[in-house]
Amino acid sequence: MRIQFRCNGADVQVEVEPDTRVIDLLREHLGLTGTKEGCGRGECGACTILLDGVPVNACLLLAGKIADREIVTIEGVAGADGSLHPIQEAFLDVGAVQCGFCTPGMILSAKALLDENRTPGVEEVEEALSGNLCRCTGYGKIVDGVLEASRRLTEEPDRGGE
Amino acid sequence: MDRMSVIGKHVRKVDGLELVTGQAKFSGDYRFPGMVYGAVKRAGVPAGRITKIDVEPARKVPGVVDVLTAKDIPGPNLIGVLPPFDQPLLAADEIRYAGESVVLVVAETAAAARRAADAVSLSIEPVEPILTLDQALAPDARKIHENGNVTLSKKLIKGEVKPAFESADVVVERTYETSFQEHGYLEPETVCAIPGRRFTLYASCQSPFHIRGHVAANLSVPASRVQVVQASTGGSFGGKDDVATEIGALACIAAQRLNRPVMIAHERKESIVGSNLRHAARIEIETGAMNDGRIVARRIRVLLDGGAYASESPFVTMKTLIHAVGPYHIDHVEVESTSVYTNKTYCGAFRGFGVPQVTFASESQIDELAEKLGIDPLEIRRINGLKAGDPNATGQVYEQSVGLLETIATIADQPAPPKPAETDRYLYGTGYASLAQGISNGAEGVDVTGASVQMSQDGSVLVGIGLTELGQGSRTVWSQIASEVLGVGMESVSVRLVDTDAVHDSGPTVASRSTTVGGMAVYKAATEVRKSLVSMAALMFQTEEENIELREGFAILKMDDSARIPIPNVATAAYWTGFPLMNLAFSKAPDANFDDETHQGDIYIAYNYGTHRMDVRVDRLTGEVKVLHHVAAHDVGRVINPLGLEGQIEGAALMGFGFAHMEKIRYVDGIIQNANFADYALPSIKDRIPTATLAVEDPNPTGPFGAKGAGEPPVAATAAAFANAVADAVGHRFTRLPITREDILEAIRGRNDG
Amino acid sequence: MKYLKPRSIGEAVDLLASSQGMVLAGGTDACVYMAEGICSPEALIDISDLDALKGIETVVVEAGEETVRIGACTTLAEIAASELLPNCLRQGAHAVGSPQIRNLGTIGGNVCNASPCGDTLAPLLTLDARLVLRSTDGTRIVASSDFFTGPKQTVMESHEILEAIEFPAAFRGKASAFRMIGNRKGQAISQVNAAVCVTVDSGTIADVRVAVGSVAPIPLRLAKLEEFLPGRAIADVDPNEIREPVIEGIRPIDDVRSTATYRQEVTVSLVFDALRACAVQVAGEGAGP
Repeated sequence: MRIQFRCNGADVQVEVEPDTRVIDLLREHLGLTGTKEGCGRGECGACTILLDGVPVNACLLLAGKIADREIVTIEGVAGADGSLHPIQEAFLDVGAVQCGFCTPGMILSAKALLDENRTPGVEEVEEALSGNLCRCTGYGKIVDGVLEASRRLTEEPDRGGE
Repeated sequence: MDRMSVIGKHVRKVDGLELVTGQAKFSGDYRFPGMVYGAVKRAGVPAGRITKIDVEPARKVPGVVDVLTAKDIPGPNLIGVLPPFDQPLLAADEIRYAGESVVLVVAETAAAARRAADAVSLSIEPVEPILTLDQALAPDARKIHENGNVTLSKKLIKGEVKPAFESADVVVERTYETSFQEHGYLEPETVCAIPGRRFTLYASCQSPFHIRGHVAANLSVPASRVQVVQASTGGSFGGKDDVATEIGALACIAAQRLNRPVMIAHERKESIVGSNLRHAARIEIETGAMNDGRIVARRIRVLLDGGAYASESPFVTMKTLIHAVGPYHIDHVEVESTSVYTNKTYCGAFRGFGVPQVTFASESQIDELAEKLGIDPLEIRRINGLKAGDPNATGQVYEQSVGLLETIATIADQPAPPKPAETDRYLYGTGYASLAQGISNGAEGVDVTGASVQMSQDGSVLVGIGLTELGQGSRTVWSQIASEVLGVGMESVSVRLVDTDAVHDSGPTVASRSTTVGGMAVYKAATEVRKSLVSMAALMFQTEEENIELREGFAILKMDDSARIPIPNVATAAYWTGFPLMNLAFSKAPDANFDDETHQGDIYIAYNYGTHRMDVRVDRLTGEVKVLHHVAAHDVGRVINPLGLEGQIEGAALMGFGFAHMEKIRYVDGIIQNANFADYALPSIKDRIPTATLAVEDPNPTGPFGAKGAGEPPVAATAAAFANAVADAVGHRFTRLPITREDILEAIRGRNDG
Repeated sequence: MKYLKPRSIGEAVDLLASSQGMVLAGGTDACVYMAEGICSPEALIDISDLDALKGIETVVVEAGEETVRIGACTTLAEIAASELLPNCLRQGAHAVGSPQIRNLGTIGGNVCNASPCGDTLAPLLTLDARLVLRSTDGTRIVASSDFFTGPKQTVMESHEILEAIEFPAAFRGKASAFRMIGNRKGQAISQVNAAVCVTVDSGTIADVRVAVGSVAPIPLRLAKLEEFLPGRAIADVDPNEIREPVIEGIRPIDDVRSTATYRQEVTVSLVFDALRACAVQVAGEGAGP
């Protein structure tokens, strides 16, 4: 089956079996290995990507469903010139990254939140990231990172696009 | 070096950029032409003998290229931590636990490999599995291994407990239990093997040299023909030692047979079922004390359920032996610790390494003692806490860096909101815990690290070391050390990937040794390179070497701050003059030197001391616990990376909280029932606890800049503090971890009923 | 595996009848079953994009009764966010999985999967919901109280598709709430859940529906409690007094997720909390729950 969709702002066409999981489509067919598989059952959020702006588990998304839709992966978060998104900068500055395996999924869930609500409170941050597990950080600095990104985005609304 | 440029400062994780952009390569991200995938068929039965393996159904699955069983292993088909190695890569005839690997299937896609592995038909004649400590120790018990069901049993004897107990005013006695805990790192175990005259194995791992040795042995090739490269690793916490070795060896063997790269990536379920867990424990403690609070004697018996293979059990046994007593100055102590085989998933290293189990027991009893004597729980810890100059449980005396009392004082000084009165809905409690955790290998073997520091002519620095970055921020700490010693900015320092070809065997990355022993090696190597720069700068300034300092990217004349030469210039000149700009240094911790019968002697290079306080609110109707307040004070010698330290303590604390409250591997008849993230309750962001870190600095003379590792101790202290807080809230002593909502509600209802 | 994307409900039921296919909505349950090897259908019939199966609207059906109609492929995220729906259903939908799961998963999927711990099930029971089933034979309507027959079992035939879920619009005016407890606070499967929908008259309970999940093979209404409560002041309800009527109605078991004893006690507490939340709504002390 030929599927056409938009990925990180570019038009993409792939030839895949329709029951291919999008996580495999990304990692194997497009070489985008930033999306990680932690459990394959939608229970950990490591494979979180944005589908038309909302976070979904790529391990539970079948290729047939993304035709003509828009996907954003971690590779599409930084600017085309390599400049980091405020979320990425904030995560680095507050120490929200340890092993980094949950980080792409966290960043995408956080981006979806901040795109919709630029000034979330702590509970809203926790709610938005409730489907992303982390074993290293204890989450405290991840929450700090999202709130810091929110601060920066509010001060400089031009950064972080969309 | 009193005025620090980067030590103790806020710096970004040096490898953070590639992690936030998704560019970092984890083992599963490598792609090689012709790469194939391996998947394993597991026993599915906890104990028995294999009578038949039918691989034909697997061979028939489209895409399958190879099927391996035990007879296809060129070498001994054995791995382990301590010889004699007892764990097969692929079981030949005896099955000792349900997750045991029996057949490796290799196919063009991971999905085909898995389908084919599932299709393998295994006939196993079951035998009655040994599933409990008591069954394993029964005199007529079937032997899981040739030498019986005891992996190791050791004693620690200090003074004479019997007369000491007789002299005690008060004796408290109780038995405690803890459960199996799963590491739950987000990245399942993954390796990628490239065949050739020399093999290259990319691995998600902690101990690349350990892997290299076993891969070579099982391939029957010299170790020099195997290269292990640690890929970015998505968490380990002790869990990737044995497993990475197992699948690393299998992948290399398959790669050799096929002459194609082979990737083996575990699924989550097999990560839980197949690979190691934290030892479950039963701990019997008896403590004798005087009315004024002084503890005069402790007698402790520790039994560890280590599952089917030895793995790290001998070392965990020894560690519990030493730590069961707690951070207290007690003259008469007797501990016996025994690890035991059962037909369950084997247990190995897991952050804390036995200390969380015994600390829960020990600290629970300290609170019980305090209550019986009518003494404040912090006060009783203060009375008995170790000070510099005191002999600890092994009789070892430290003249410096014994910050326990400072951590107790720090906790005592914390402003704490008054405990709310209980309501119809809520109960409130406060709990404390103190501990000492030995840093680095101690009695477990030689404690050596090698590190290399190389400066280029442009003044940039490359650090190499055999210890691994697992998320704990070691690369950043080593960069800070090199940066500080050489006076260059962090952005000029790179830490190379751990590659067994290029760094000295530095042992496993365990026991919180990366900062202490690892950091010391980096410090020494950097210091040697520094000497060359200083000598060169002295020539350039035409002055004595003692007048030179390296700082802010310059060689500076001490008496005239404006007299500066950029370090790149010094480095270039040094090169052309013939000064060495690279050094390989060793850091060796003093050998443990102790009596084998009594375990008395000098064992650890240093201890990390900590005291925690936790305040909880318990819901009477649901048993839910909300942690209102959690403070963790740790004596870390010297803080090198404040953000990194907090991150480590917060992460360890949540792991300890999970161990104490939420997480439990559930077995039924030797089969794990909750081998997934839905039914194994790894804490989510909504379960996080508000841990505040307080670092106490009591410099450790053996650590770089006085630092000591801190990655493990908060696990044990958080768990113990939680248990004490909940006991305080509910008015009931819980003797088994995890203390679940079910347990709490039952206790509350029992309390209500009278 | 064939992947079929019908362009209408009619085409969907035709495909279902003629192929050995499996209906695919959000895929959050289906993909897990396929990954576990529990099913490997010859074809997937993806109905998630059919507009006719999406959306929430108020319609008038027989006898002029205003009915709320929810398309089966409305996502759980949409259900949770919709101000057209009662709190208990919104909260139930919100309790499913995680944001990622809710953005793909549908209410139809949650209902048809019929897990005893499905979080939208108890709320639907309290709303007298009806399931609209469609097949090549036409349409049939089943009351939610008749729909579930056992764990992951319903009265649906293999050639039927759940088209919509309906309930009387009058229920929108009532106070309602949903509570659950799981093994952790985020992304948790319910060990027990409870939904309450209550009509209050000057602070007194006039009529109440209480449904619980995960304490029996199917979600069920607590008839004894529904008899017991009317006449009582909602603000004064006490967990001790409702304990017996609650416990009498449930048959919890020990399983990997929890124990029967705990489930029993916690059901009381969840029902109590849900009633409390309704009391707050009624008193107008807050937007609610």
